[in-house]
Amino acid sequence: MLNTILDLLRASTADAWEVTDTQETGWEFYLIRHRLDQHRVKLTRHTHVKVYRRFGEGQFLGSASAEIPPTANAEEAKAAIDALCQRAEYVKNPAYTLVAPDGEAQAQAGSVDVAAIARDFLEALQAVPETQTEDLNSYEIFVSEKKRRFLNSEGVDVTSVYPSSMAEVVVNARRDGHEIELYRLYHSGACDRDGLIQALTETLRYSRDKLIAQPTPALGRATVLFSTDAACEIYNYFISRMSAAMLVRRISDWKIGEPVVRDAAGDKVTVRALVTLPNSSDNAAYDPEGARRWDFDIIRDGIARQAYGSRQFSQYLGLERSCVPGNYAVSGGSATAAELRTGPYLEVVEFSDFQVDAMSGDIAGEIRLAYWHDGEKTVPVSGGSVTGSMLTLARTLRMSREQRQYDHLLIPAVTALDGVTIAGVE
Amino acid sequence: MKAPFSPYLTGVAGPLRGLIARLGERYDSVSVLATDSVGFALRISQRAKSVGSDTMMTERGVVVRVRKDGQYAEAAFNDFDPAEMDRVLADITAQLDRQTAVLAAAGVRAYETAPLPDEPLTLLAEMETGRLPEREDIPALIERLSALSDAGMTRREGLLDCMVTAQSTHVSKLFLTANRDLRQSYVYSEGGVAMLAAQDGRTEYAHESVADRAGPEIFDDLDGKLDATAKILADKLGAERVVPGEYDVITSPEVSGLIAHEAFGHGVEMDMFVKGRALGAAYIGKRVGSDLVTMHEGAACAVDVSSYAFDDEGTLAGDVTEIEHGILRTGICDALSALRLGTAPTGNGKRQNFEHKVYTRMTNTVFDSGTDSLEDMIASVAHGYLLEGFSSGMEDPKHWGIQCIVERGYEIRDGQFTGKVVSPVVMTGYVPDLLGSVSMVSPHRETFGSGGCGKGHKEWVKVSDGGPYLKAKARLG
Repeated sequence: MLNTILDLLRASTADAWEVTDTQETGWEFYLIRHRLDQHRVKLTRHTHVKVYRRFGEGQFLGSASAEIPPTANAEEAKAAIDALCQRAEYVKNPAYTLVAPDGEAQAQAGSVDVAAIARDFLEALQAVPETQTEDLNSYEIFVSEKKRRFLNSEGVDVTSVYPSSMAEVVVNARRDGHEIELYRLYHSGACDRDGLIQALTETLRYSRDKLIAQPTPALGRATVLFSTDAACEIYNYFISRMSAAMLVRRISDWKIGEPVVRDAAGDKVTVRALVTLPNSSDNAAYDPEGARRWDFDIIRDGIARQAYGSRQFSQYLGLERSCVPGNYAVSGGSATAAELRTGPYLEVVEFSDFQVDAMSGDIAGEIRLAYWHDGEKTVPVSGGSVTGSMLTLARTLRMSREQRQYDHLLIPAVTALDGVTIAGVE
Repeated sequence: MKAPFSPYLTGVAGPLRGLIARLGERYDSVSVLATDSVGFALRISQRAKSVGSDTMMTERGVVVRVRKDGQYAEAAFNDFDPAEMDRVLADITAQLDRQTAVLAAAGVRAYETAPLPDEPLTLLAEMETGRLPEREDIPALIERLSALSDAGMTRREGLLDCMVTAQSTHVSKLFLTANRDLRQSYVYSEGGVAMLAAQDGRTEYAHESVADRAGPEIFDDLDGKLDATAKILADKLGAERVVPGEYDVITSPEVSGLIAHEAFGHGVEMDMFVKGRALGAAYIGKRVGSDLVTMHEGAACAVDVSSYAFDDEGTLAGDVTEIEHGILRTGICDALSALRLGTAPTGNGKRQNFEHKVYTRMTNTVFDSGTDSLEDMIASVAHGYLLEGFSSGMEDPKHWGIQCIVERGYEIRDGQFTGKVVSPVVMTGYVPDLLGSVSMVSPHRETFGSGGCGKGHKEWVKVSDGGPYLKAKARLG
């Protein structure tokens, strides 16, 4: 069907086109108390087509996209492409160009042993050191080989083959007839056995402490430390606001060469786009539009350096070279994690759903487990919420020099914000 | 008009019956869900326009569920070719056999689950719609929405953008077993207006939406959303932060729906009972809310985006009374969980799409109406907030904690609005305390079906939720 689609596109009225053809072999296992509930296999192929029409003497470019299912016959595929060509005429956007071949080798060959990765996950999760009172309630394992081929009318034809995995784990702890749960969702390329066991061992400790947590005191404003995956939200705020789409839409008012945080009193953040991070689930050499990825600084020492994004918005912003990165590394911390853990602070390790709104800068999250350190003793607490605005809190940002990886993000292991509003329940 | 059932699915129904028969030679039981759902998605703004065919529910594919020796397994694929039946069979069985070998090598034991009942049943449900997405005049709609975006820009000085979205999906699903042939077809649509503005370095966003189990005709209602969206934006830009504390609150139907969804929607999804993950299992027959609280859940209890005729396991749509006058009566259940629990499925077995597993999921989750007027509710508040709009919610079925991030709170003092607006507002608390504090309920009731619902942090499906205005006590931060 792919060759049929390509022939139809070449014969169509489209002025340009892109095709993304993704094949996936996925294995899934669902276990409760280490016993299998169900297993599943997924064998799919998705072919997405985007056609472009130029008009207004090349000033404008229209586009329309659709998936053409592998079960479509040639007649259906032609009808779909004809409809796209017609619709594209009415989508009047300022013109931009598609990715052109860069002359370098364009094949990322390889294959993924889905069965071996799946077995690694099964064995790793059985090896987590459970106790009589803290254990794994249930888990779901998803392992895929993804083969993504991208072609366009400019001659780009690139293929990326990579593993993509996910493990959802629910942890229980019980004491005196009371039971609680904590939830984890891990994304990765293959299975990082040691990292997974280490992370879940930490989660088991949190679950034990959640059982003895006291109500969060009404602290008013306090220094809050983020030392789990919730911190990714804070750094996604910086990453998102440097995207070409946000800059073009003026949702972000950050400017290249200027500080991203005015009057910063804390650490100055550096965000670097990376083609690869060990075991990331997005180590593809090319972005979704076929642009070759490379390593570059997005923000360096608190100064906006390089925006990134889709072809369309990158060109609207005037970027000569751009891509949608797969991985990011954040650095710039001036203290150790131990040094950040001094004085009074609330270290929140479990939120219901911590959010940082990249648009408004608002932060919010219900506290499921935190450690209140009053300067002398540390008490596990639960309940209440944290709120604030990154517009002011980012000025106080402090980061540990030590880093920790969450799938495609390598970030400081501990992040501190001062003056966060705490709604307690005490 | 009736939304016609997919000709593609009609064409493959026979060969899929053949596949079931062939698989039946190897497995104890076999069922098939095949889908063919088409649609469009338009996104118009001052900066860029896009038109595509993908919505949350567009898909074409097949998922086969088999049972052997008490063990259920599934294979999902989207290249079903009746002329290559042997290859399809070989792919399915070879992959599932390899998985079984890996499980054995890893020393994993399995649960045994009883066979699903398979009484004969035939159904063809083609539901009413005004128009069909596949026949919509897309160029004309693009022009109309572009004009709407332009008109939106005139509603407030200094607007950064006015985005207008419209998507419509014609869903067709076919469920087959040896004895069952269920077919359904319906259309749902959703659209919205969003405005963006910046003030004092802060960018704010306001959004109003329309959604229904209806065709693209509902986009005619978007014109009426411009003024409301502009007002919400002005309110948010002028908002202050709430002083953390416990307050009397009046929740709008939209926020009431969020509470219904997060409090006792997720809390009584009975696949969580199977895992021992829900506190609700121990509270059946016990009080969890005030006498004024009655809540329904089911694809048949309202007409909105998730009102189907049968679920993704072939169970007919239901209407479950989850809470009756404050007493928790029952939960909702998918078919396999029902077998484990020894109960009946409620028509709530849903998949994100054919590629995903079935979980117990919500459909329409709605508080019942009461008799108190909104005016009386406002007059009764000494100091509190009328809560409107939301951005997200999160539940904790094991501990009955709830987090609702509400967009706006309108301050009330001594029964009068003061004009002060707070935003955003994080409403947290213990569900029985929150529902137990419900003291007034209005007659007005609405459901809302824009957006989606995840299970944990994945498995996104369409749902609707709603209710009347509720007066309660809640902790705001």
